[in-house]
Amino acid sequence: MTRTLKLLRRVLRGPASRRRILAGPAAVMALGVAAFAFMAVTGTAAQGANAPVSTNASDIAAGEQLFAAHCQSCHGVNGVGGTNGSPELIDAGAAAADFYITTGRMPLNATNNQALRHHSYFNATQTRDLVAYIADLPAINSAHPLPRVGEEAFNPTSPGIPTVAPLCTGPGTPSGCVTLSDGQRYYSLNCAQCHQAAGAGGMLSKGDIVPSLHNASLTQVAEAMRVGPSPMPVFGTGQLSAKQVSAIAQYVQYLHNPNNRGGLGISHFGPIAEGFVGIVIGFGVLMLASRLIGNRG
Amino acid sequence: MSTTEERLAAEKRMKYERVGLDAVDDRLGSSGFIQKALDKIFPDHWSFMVGEIAMYCFVVLLITGVYLALYYVPSAADVVYHPTPGHGYMPLAGQHMSEAYQSVLNISFNVRAGLVMRQMHHWAAVVFMAAIAFHLCRIFFTGAFRRPRETNWVIGLLLLLSVMLEGFSGYSLPDDLLSGTGLRVVFSIVESIPFIGTWLAFDLWGSQFPGSSLIPRLFVVHEFLFPLAIIGLLTAHLMLIWRQKHTDFPGPGKTETNIRGSRLWPQYAIKSGALLMIIFGVLGALGGLFQINAIWLYGPYNPYTVSAGAQPDWYVGWLDGSVRLWPHWEFRSFGHEIANPFFPGVLVPGIVFTIMFAWPQIDRLIYKDHVAHNLLDRPRDKPFRTAVGVGALAFFTDLTFASGTDLLGNDLHMPFERLIEILQYGVFVAPLVAGAIAYKTCQALQRTDAHPIMKPVGGILIRTADGAYHTLGDEHGAHGDHDGHGHAVDDHDGNGHAAAHDDDGNGSADGNGHAAEEVDEPAAGAAISGPDPSGS
Repeated sequence: MTRTLKLLRRVLRGPASRRRILAGPAAVMALGVAAFAFMAVTGTAAQGANAPVSTNASDIAAGEQLFAAHCQSCHGVNGVGGTNGSPELIDAGAAAADFYITTGRMPLNATNNQALRHHSYFNATQTRDLVAYIADLPAINSAHPLPRVGEEAFNPTSPGIPTVAPLCTGPGTPSGCVTLSDGQRYYSLNCAQCHQAAGAGGMLSKGDIVPSLHNASLTQVAEAMRVGPSPMPVFGTGQLSAKQVSAIAQYVQYLHNPNNRGGLGISHFGPIAEGFVGIVIGFGVLMLASRLIGNRG
Repeated sequence: MSTTEERLAAEKRMKYERVGLDAVDDRLGSSGFIQKALDKIFPDHWSFMVGEIAMYCFVVLLITGVYLALYYVPSAADVVYHPTPGHGYMPLAGQHMSEAYQSVLNISFNVRAGLVMRQMHHWAAVVFMAAIAFHLCRIFFTGAFRRPRETNWVIGLLLLLSVMLEGFSGYSLPDDLLSGTGLRVVFSIVESIPFIGTWLAFDLWGSQFPGSSLIPRLFVVHEFLFPLAIIGLLTAHLMLIWRQKHTDFPGPGKTETNIRGSRLWPQYAIKSGALLMIIFGVLGALGGLFQINAIWLYGPYNPYTVSAGAQPDWYVGWLDGSVRLWPHWEFRSFGHEIANPFFPGVLVPGIVFTIMFAWPQIDRLIYKDHVAHNLLDRPRDKPFRTAVGVGALAFFTDLTFASGTDLLGNDLHMPFERLIEILQYGVFVAPLVAGAIAYKTCQALQRTDAHPIMKPVGGILIRTADGAYHTLGDEHGAHGDHDGHGHAVDDHDGNGHAAAHDDDGNGSADGNGHAAEEVDEPAAGAAISGPDPSGS
């Protein structure tokens, strides 16, 4: 403790006696030379699986129970919509259900909050049951019609959970595979404006934020494009083909752990963060160094 | 202290020096100059080395820059990128890009040590500007710009401008998404200049944005024009320092006509050499350990793409912030619309730099001080100037924060609009508040005469036989005299100075030596008791 204090005081007040002053710089120089040789790792893209929607009656029944306990207070009986402005879910579809549940966006604490990523409230079985139930809502409602609340459905064919094509990894990969290069191109055309070039996220107006994509799974990214979780717009089949969606999803997956050649990535936040590191670490060390040697007569 | 061996070693060393000097003198007859140069005195205060940090960063920039120039291709021609696995960046395989961007990808992935050189180059630029900013602050707050050094203040500011433009042109060369976005903003700002803007922008770019002429032009600017300007200005800067000699903080044995410190050879050369080694080490470490501007993630620039969170490098951040904060006002005069970006993008920096260039004259008017000074002010002794400086720093900080609004808003969970509004008010409030606090702090420090950060020097507490206490070291007398100059400098350990060196050649200072006679400078004294324009 006292040694640390002494050292700190030496740094702040300057030395009391002459010492060899080249040893320290030489050590820093050696460190620099070692760092010069250091180069960082490369990343690999993982491949996600697809959950098919269950049509099992017992799953749907279990889903109904969960829905009644956790969703119905806002979204209404059989998902017809709530009086507090919550949308009806009859035509929401499996993709939306799976996206909102697996990303923990639903259930929402307060209806005026932006739904943001959270750890999921439901386990895999519960998620399967709920998705099965919500995917079955059109059938349930046509059998037992209840008056709908809110606007009419605009999307008669609600999107199912999309399948994401694999990356082309070499001569053996199946046809229909996608490349990261295509993913990068479509990503920078359609996504980087809000989600930032490296998927770090950003801001919108009125307090809405753009989430980072670094935790989004392959399926979730594809679902989000098709569903358009507010305030994100829907990217329907007219805008992006299934193949383009897959390429983007694969590229976002790659961005979780991109080629980080050159050292610590500083979260890829860009020049302001880099400036902070340069001033605090780089210039800070140099200030301390000049403080140590500068006052020596 | 000096044993026989030490004396012999010293004599031996001096012999070598003499032999070397004789060899040069036989050929060039330069002994007189060299002897004088080697004996030049540099003050022993650490803050005087920060300007050297900047200078050595420039050396690193030149060395790494030459290496990068060997591989950079200044061409906007469209190419298709064909990396091979293990040599190049596969996620961009098959994409169209400019030849410039491709060459920077090659520097980053194919050229041996290319990436570490590129990163060292970029980090050196970031640290370079930080050192310049600090150096500028030191000159400002200690009044080192006063007569006779006003010219060097102007040269220093020209250096600052050149380095900023050099930095921005370098930021634009890779032709990645960030480069292009930055250039798009600058194109619009140039276009917004009344009457000549459109012509000027088309002349500079050679066509409508983005065009294919700008990259080669920027290369010439970044590679020759500004480096040469910086070298020329730096030479003038150093020659003037040499001619006018260093300033120094007031202190025992220091007068307006002498300089105390270390001789260039050997003490100061070793200090400076050590600093050079540390700078190379630190920049090498940054270049090797911390990624900067991963251009492969941003991708090639297309005018129809943009990334969220696009920012300039930190030293241009305040200009970007100015553009972000400026309200959406529009002006029409003589049938012409003065486009909005003109005000925050041209007028604001124009006013800021005009004030900076004119500061020595403004300062002279404020303090009615026309005398030449070689001893520095302590910041507390000129509260108004210090308050102006701190206010200016608050102003720049506010604008720099504005440049990072997309990051800040996310981190603070604050709506974008409110953040902008807060920072808009901050432009006016922050400088006033910070300036007022600085002013009051200066006055308080004048009263207590304590160092704001460090423990008071001296201070051995003695208890006498009859129970009274007093402190040794107080006799130095800071508490007695209110000019307080005795404590403005660190307590040198005394034997660090072999003698007081006369650097003026008029022989007046040698006798001053260790007498540590306090010389009350008329000008400095007058400034304390004299009229204070801030109305205190």
